Amino acid sequence: MVVSAFHKKLFRTMFQSWGQSLGVVMVVLCGIAAYICFHSAYLNLSLTRDTYYAQNRLADFEIMVERAPETAVFKLERLPGVRQVRKRIVEDVNVDIEGVNEPRVGRLISMPARRSPVINDIVILSGRYFEAGEQRVAVVSNQFAESNGLALGDRFQISVDSKKYSLRVVGLAASPEYVYMIRNVQALIPSPERFGILWVPEEFAETALDMKSACNNIVGLVDNPEDLDKILDEADKVLDPYGVFAKTKREDQLSNRFISDEIKGLGVSAKIIPTLFLGIAALILLILLNRMVRTERTQIGLMKAFGYSNWAVGFHYIEYGLILCVIGCVGGFALGQWMAGGMMKLYVQFYQFPILESRIYLDVLARSMGITLVFATLGALSAAIQAARIQPAESMRAEAPSRVNRVWLEYIPVLWKRVSFTWKMILRNISRNRFRSAVNCFGVAISLSLLLMGFFMTDSIDFGMKFQFRDAQREDVKVSFQREQGRDVLYEASRFPHVRRAEGLLEYPFEIRSVWRKKDIVVIGIEKGSEMRKVMNFARETFSLGDGGLVLAESLAEELQVGPGDTVTLEPLMGRIEGEFEVPVRAVAQQFLGTAAYMDHAALSRMLDESYVINSALLRLESGSRDAINKTLKEIGGIAAVTFNDDAYQSIQDTLGKSMVITNTVLLIFAGVIAFSIIYNITAVSLSERQRELASLRVLGLSTQEVGGIVYFENMLMGALGLLFGVPMGMGICALLVEAYSNDMFRLPFYIDRSTYVISILLTYSFVLLANLAVRRKIQNLDLVEVLKERE
Amino acid sequence: MLPRCTAQRVRKLGILPAATPTIFDLRDVCKEYQMGEVVVPALRGATLTIQRGELLVILGPSGSGKSTLLNIIGGLDAPTRGEVLFRGEDLAQYSEAQRTQYRRKHIGFVFQFYNLMPNLTAEENVELATEISDDPMNPAEALDMVQLDDRRTHFPSQLSGGEQQRVAIARAVAKRPEILLCDEPTGALDIATGKVVLDALNEINRRIGTTLILITHNASIAGLADRVIQMRDGHVHSITANTDRKSVEDLVW
Ligand SMILES: Nc1ncnc2c1ncn2[C@@H]1O[C@H](COP(=O)(O)OP(=O)(O)O)[C@@H](O)[C@H]1O
Ligand SMILES: [Mg+2]
Repeated sequence: MVVSAFHKKLFRTMFQSWGQSLGVVMVVLCGIAAYICFHSAYLNLSLTRDTYYAQNRLADFEIMVERAPETAVFKLERLPGVRQVRKRIVEDVNVDIEGVNEPRVGRLISMPARRSPVINDIVILSGRYFEAGEQRVAVVSNQFAESNGLALGDRFQISVDSKKYSLRVVGLAASPEYVYMIRNVQALIPSPERFGILWVPEEFAETALDMKSACNNIVGLVDNPEDLDKILDEADKVLDPYGVFAKTKREDQLSNRFISDEIKGLGVSAKIIPTLFLGIAALILLILLNRMVRTERTQIGLMKAFGYSNWAVGFHYIEYGLILCVIGCVGGFALGQWMAGGMMKLYVQFYQFPILESRIYLDVLARSMGITLVFATLGALSAAIQAARIQPAESMRAEAPSRVNRVWLEYIPVLWKRVSFTWKMILRNISRNRFRSAVNCFGVAISLSLLLMGFFMTDSIDFGMKFQFRDAQREDVKVSFQREQGRDVLYEASRFPHVRRAEGLLEYPFEIRSVWRKKDIVVIGIEKGSEMRKVMNFARETFSLGDGGLVLAESLAEELQVGPGDTVTLEPLMGRIEGEFEVPVRAVAQQFLGTAAYMDHAALSRMLDESYVINSALLRLESGSRDAINKTLKEIGGIAAVTFNDDAYQSIQDTLGKSMVITNTVLLIFAGVIAFSIIYNITAVSLSERQRELASLRVLGLSTQEVGGIVYFENMLMGALGLLFGVPMGMGICALLVEAYSNDMFRLPFYIDRSTYVISILLTYSFVLLANLAVRRKIQNLDLVEVLKERE
Repeated sequence: MLPRCTAQRVRKLGILPAATPTIFDLRDVCKEYQMGEVVVPALRGATLTIQRGELLVILGPSGSGKSTLLNIIGGLDAPTRGEVLFRGEDLAQYSEAQRTQYRRKHIGFVFQFYNLMPNLTAEENVELATEISDDPMNPAEALDMVQLDDRRTHFPSQLSGGEQQRVAIARAVAKRPEILLCDEPTGALDIATGKVVLDALNEINRRIGTTLILITHNASIAGLADRVIQMRDGHVHSITANTDRKSVEDLVW
């Protein structure tokens, strides 16, 4: 292939200003890598989720009842729009595994004796399904078995009420219902070693839980998911006598919620981040190429005089942009694909998919190349148009002198007189190149925002965790019972060895209503003068629960559109009592996890027609007595779950911590690339424009440092301004994140630690310094004699 | 008010014996440029002394090494071989930093192209020099010397070529340099404007006593000089003393 002289010139210019070219390439590379990574992850996860759900028939709805007979289930199946239903028995039980000190929580789920493609089917990963007539066997969720040392054929004990059963592991499996292996919202992060699913034969479940021909959980499929609300209302009527306490649509199903939110987030990231990067690449190109056209004005005129068309000359500059961006894009393919693979590995920690593919999507590659070309052309367009417009004859004459903008400070002579010439030059230069200075500022601001954003997530979750597990929830361990208990059980618990204090807690499901707005929630009854539970907001203001009335979580109050002083209606969801209660709202408090309402324990007991009833005990322990208490609790029947406060805290810290480190590193690199590329490019452009000025300063006897100072100070000033704008900009983005990430499961506190500001600012500023360091070489190498010899 | 004479100051400082009028002593100065594999000799052994306070005109065909010589004297460039003694010290041994200091203290430059800061006013351009100098003139005074005191607040783009060159001269003189080096200062100007600029330079040499070295293509300008040097092929071809220094008006262009 013969490379035309035109292209030789192009490549040489590119190579000569390699620092600047590299800047453009890097920014595009990061943007495309982010796009490929996020978009592939988005497609991978959506695809895996959808096929997994379809193949295993994930339910469209799930209804939890106290106890419903088979006949009610048949009635449900005949409702119009309902395609199929399946009755199940679901119960959380205490699991005792040999060699494991702590009691684990297992969720018992009944499965038909014979393998059939049921709703919420499981995937057997190893071992087998039950065989006809088998009773004391279980198929166990894969990770739970593995992390607790349970192998095929091993036995473990479960306690239901006060009876103990020994079950044999026959198979290991996964289920679309528990991709995100989480027991309840409070856990936030899956802990597949502490919580597992035990699929057992229906007959065993019926006997163990005393549910002969009955069920407490119904899952179903419908013809048209849009009718779900209507169908669930109808179902409610059918099941009302049997104590409906939760109706969940697929979109609200806990595991699905977490996955779908994550996928949605990936989709948004795949749009925003690459747009930001390619936009910045276009800005840099704009500045770089506009300058180039001005420098090469005479050459352009000459080319035209030789007979090159306007189009050919204009396209030359577009080509410059295209080549750099395409190089970046191809690099981005590679990096993005690699990152996508890493991302999938990260997801495997969180999600229990039996298969998780990371494919190469050719259409994603094609699309990213398309976007790159568009942005490259946009960035180069203005330079191309200018080049096309140059008249050959005119270009041979000197360019009309640039108009000088006076700085506003000049109109205050008293002050202007005191400004040193260095600063006069700096200020005039900034005002001469307002657009460029603005982009410089913007680059610094964006970098700072990116860093703030990354650190904010860590700060915020850390703050939320401390809020939840240190201040609001102060017990050492929460023991949840399978059945409601009276004062005697609490008294007994308080006399366990190593227990310093015990308090009761009552969590009861209600439907809460205000006018036509309603929601199923849990009302938490806290004892008067409780030391272990405090209802407080993020500012640590505690709310008194008085003798009745509710304190609502902020997201709940927003959803119901009620505030302090309003009255809401509570209807118990479990069938033990009938009726409705009008309850005043005492206060609204921000909450990190969950959508709960809080009430005085005595008042809540009274509402349930009891003088004293609890379903959990909160214990404060002597330090170092964890193993001892575990041993005690393992012996006791009727316990559904034992949750150590520190475990929840630690597992969230560990898991999030790891992914946060990765995210923050990526953001740090992104921020560095943006800041460096923008500042380096702008400074280099501005240097080449001012070579002559700077050279004459050197001739006058200014040292390289002094001349450099003019350039550095300008960058430092713009950098400082950028920081000034970056802080509110970053805070704004964080506020948007709070909105984007908050839902009825958890709410990010808007909290940025002071050290985060300091670190982000220092890091950003060191990017500025680094870019200046790179520019310094250019100033030192300035050839005085050569520059001054050239015609102006 | 007239600025003090440089020679007097120098004598007062006791750096130079009053009797020695030689300020520069160039011995066998060579300069070679490396152009890839080719060595281009620009100076091939130039020898020359320069007296304090004199006006020296350098003539010679294009490429004969005039600018190279001037740049070496001015400390913009270092010679490849030879000695450049400035008051007995060899500039050739100076480091980059020392040369910067040297330029700052002793040298004023005027080029064919004015090299003014486009974003500073005339006065501010002069301030540029005075701010880094120990004993500078008042910028207004310097502009007054080149008859531009009424254009102080104008930006270069608002001045004509001749006016810009005069600002450049004012900037060069304002730090009271001992030597003023001018490389074809009138090369880009028409006759009338050129004369105004030359007049300004001539005045500076006469009234302040600044040593002035002036490169020109124009042989008729040689009439202003105390001595005229002919350069040819990188060395000094001839030196002619001028007994009868003309004034600018008397020059025949
Ligand atoms: N930077 C340089 N690199 C290579 N050659 C140079 C350089 N500067 C000057 N020359 C060469 O040195 C010789 C003398 O140049 P110069 O001193 O500029 O001549 P003059 O000013 O008398 O026209 C010329 O042949 C020129 O090509
Ligand atoms: Mg020359």
